[in-house]
Amino acid sequence: MLEVYDLYSGYGKIEVLHGVFLRVSHREIVCIIGPNGSGKSTLLKSIFGLIKPYRGKIQFMGLEISQKDPEEKVALGISYIPQGRNIFPSLSVLENLEMGATPLRDPLKMKKAIQEIFDHYPLLEKKKRLKAGSLSGGEKQILALARTSMIKPELILLDEPSLGLAPKVVDQIYREIDLINHQGVTFLIVEQNARKALRLAHRAYVLDLGVNRLEDTGEGLLQNEEVKRLYLGG
Amino acid sequence: MSSFFLQTIFNGILAGCIYALFAIGLTLIYGVLNFVNFAHGELIMWGAYFLYFLMDRPLNLPLSIAFLPALCLTILLGLGSDRFIFKPLRKASRLTLLITSLGLSFFLRNGAQFFWGAEIRTYGFEIKRGMKLFGVSITPNQLAIIVSSTLCMILLYLFFYKSRMGKSMRAISDDLELARVMGIPSDRAIQFTWIIASFLAGLGGILLALDTNLHPGMGLINLVKAFAATLLGGVGNLWGALLGGMIIGLSENIAVLLLSPGYKDAIAFGIMVMMLLIRSSTIFWPKE
Repeated sequence: MLEVYDLYSGYGKIEVLHGVFLRVSHREIVCIIGPNGSGKSTLLKSIFGLIKPYRGKIQFMGLEISQKDPEEKVALGISYIPQGRNIFPSLSVLENLEMGATPLRDPLKMKKAIQEIFDHYPLLEKKKRLKAGSLSGGEKQILALARTSMIKPELILLDEPSLGLAPKVVDQIYREIDLINHQGVTFLIVEQNARKALRLAHRAYVLDLGVNRLEDTGEGLLQNEEVKRLYLGG
Repeated sequence: MSSFFLQTIFNGILAGCIYALFAIGLTLIYGVLNFVNFAHGELIMWGAYFLYFLMDRPLNLPLSIAFLPALCLTILLGLGSDRFIFKPLRKASRLTLLITSLGLSFFLRNGAQFFWGAEIRTYGFEIKRGMKLFGVSITPNQLAIIVSSTLCMILLYLFFYKSRMGKSMRAISDDLELARVMGIPSDRAIQFTWIIASFLAGLGGILLALDTNLHPGMGLINLVKAFAATLLGGVGNLWGALLGGMIIGLSENIAVLLLSPGYKDAIAFGIMVMMLLIRSSTIFWPKE
């Protein structure tokens, strides 16, 4: 579904990715792990078009997309959830969902999609009038996931979903990701907190200093002695 | 004495209404585009002069007919300044935008002076005696100020909390990059922001000139007051701007009870300096 071929990217003159290769198949959960500064977030931003790659190919469902804008990619079925600030804090929970529904265009469809989300997450419905900024970290992440899955994208690019969350909450987030994946949505996840992500991922890549180091199934990387030592903290 | 005090309060509210119109526009531009538009005052001033132009020779239009076209011209001026000046600089640093808006402000102020001269002008209405209400004198123009600014606030509330475009503008004001990521069309929202900000500036400028007079410097002094109101209310915060405008208007007029009226403008300046000392870092540099 998604193929990244020899991708070079970065910020202005500072090159961060020096030739990255990556493949994500339909309905897969693929995880990218690696230390701080290895270029994980830069890779996601380059795929989504927030940063224009210098060279290399990005193909999505057979289409070359490396120079397209984020808006076009949303229309093609790619969604991106940035790390940290990924909701509108001064808008209510309901308004956040309404904004998330923008690509659906038809007001009736939007209403229906939001109702489906509320049926699935009663907690969000209970808090729909509250400012999203007042939610807990886990609730914010659930809101971001709900708002994104609502428009039924083909592929979700997810940057550090566990950032700053308690372990129990991370488990819950990963259960939601699993659930959304079973509805047919493909995931490409970047994680620093790698263990939980690898347990869920079908396949995973290790990215270090802007190039791929390893590729294996999630379980395979979890058992890999070198990965354990270097990237999972023993 | 009590009716004198009531009159002071009323004058404060009156000034507050106008400052609020200016401050909401200023804060809106700041929220969505993330820079302080120092040329906002010139939209106020040009709004008033557009009306003067339409009512003066050779056109001699009556107020009722000239009013809406004058507002439309102000909106065009706002949209034009975005299209030709701020849009090409969308990715520029805040400092660049700040200096650009200062330059535009000088250009527009001197432009008005070129056409109409520096002297104080009025629309040439006879001064009407105000009607008395609870010992407070209210002229028809002042009534128009209160009614139209209240109406504006209600419409703004409905727009920002009930319409999709209004909600998009609030979302963009929260986080432009996230809005782009989510596929919210930011270009149209930015245009709408300019339309609303210029409309409020033009309306406020016209109301102010109807109640007092016009001169090319009227934009600058009112920009300072709008800026002070914006700072008081928290930059980017709509209802804060409304409240800030009221506080500035009231404190200016109440201060006149104690000080000479010559110091009236110093109040807004004082509040501005004070607020800048307290929270300057959040205004000119990114909100993190």
